[in-house]
Amino acid sequence: MDVQYINPFIVAAQVVFKTMLGIDVNMGKPELKNTCVTSGDVTGIMGLAGDKKGTVAISFREQGAKYIYKTLIGDECETINQDVVDAVGEITNIISGQARKEFEKKGINLNAAIPMVIVGKQVEMNFITKLPIISLPFYFAINNGHTGEKEVIYIDFSFE
Amino acid sequence: MNVLVVDDFSTMRKIIKNVLKQIGIESVIEAENGKMALELLKKEQIDLIISDWIMPEMTGIDFLKACKSEENTKKIPFIMVTAEAQKGNILEAIKSGVDNYIVKPFTPEKLQSAIEKAKERVGK
Repeated sequence: MDVQYINPFIVAAQVVFKTMLGIDVNMGKPELKNTCVTSGDVTGIMGLAGDKKGTVAISFREQGAKYIYKTLIGDECETINQDVVDAVGEITNIISGQARKEFEKKGINLNAAIPMVIVGKQVEMNFITKLPIISLPFYFAINNGHTGEKEVIYIDFSFE
Repeated sequence: MNVLVVDDFSTMRKIIKNVLKQIGIESVIEAENGKMALELLKKEQIDLIISDWIMPEMTGIDFLKACKSEENTKKIPFIMVTAEAQKGNILEAIKSGVDNYIVKPFTPEKLQSAIEKAKERVGK
């Protein structure tokens, strides 16, 4: 897969987290995934079509998903409930939109559908491409960095 | 002032409601898609519409076109708040009569400013 496809997702993650949540994310080492399963506990998945076709999955661990919901809405959630699932779907939608805007700057026009959210670890996903999946981990501090705790989101995508 | 907020994600409806509350607008009616919103417009007096684009049943752009083609609803200020940031989308919304277009992600201040301008337009 062409490396030019990675940058729009990096920019999108950084812009969306900073603007909507006031959170700085730091990208870790990209990896190639050989299995088509969810990387975290709650995963928003979206098909992309147009000049290219592909799939993007944005995956949160449970604590990270609950923290994102709390930061967005201001309410605490003890479990992964429908509200948290909805928030992950919306974040997926927004990151995808921002990434598509970045792709447009490179002359690649993409359309998206409504995201689907999967709850569960290592759940099999259906990517519409057969190529390797690139997994980008993004780390961020939770609780305003006071506790030293960090969370991670994974942006997994494949294009052809 | 009655605001109709249309988005299939409850998270975004809550975020918009929080911003509206901060500027003193408590009267908010919610719909999950354009079809549901059109039904509400027949029953309720609405002063401002804030709508997403990509939604099931009826998209925001079809809802916008429906609003702007009806005598009773065409003068209601319509703000599109969407992740669709591509030039073609923005142009289509402008051609269809949108009054303001905000791309997600947005800051509360940006949405607040658009709503304040819409409030001035309806004189409330």
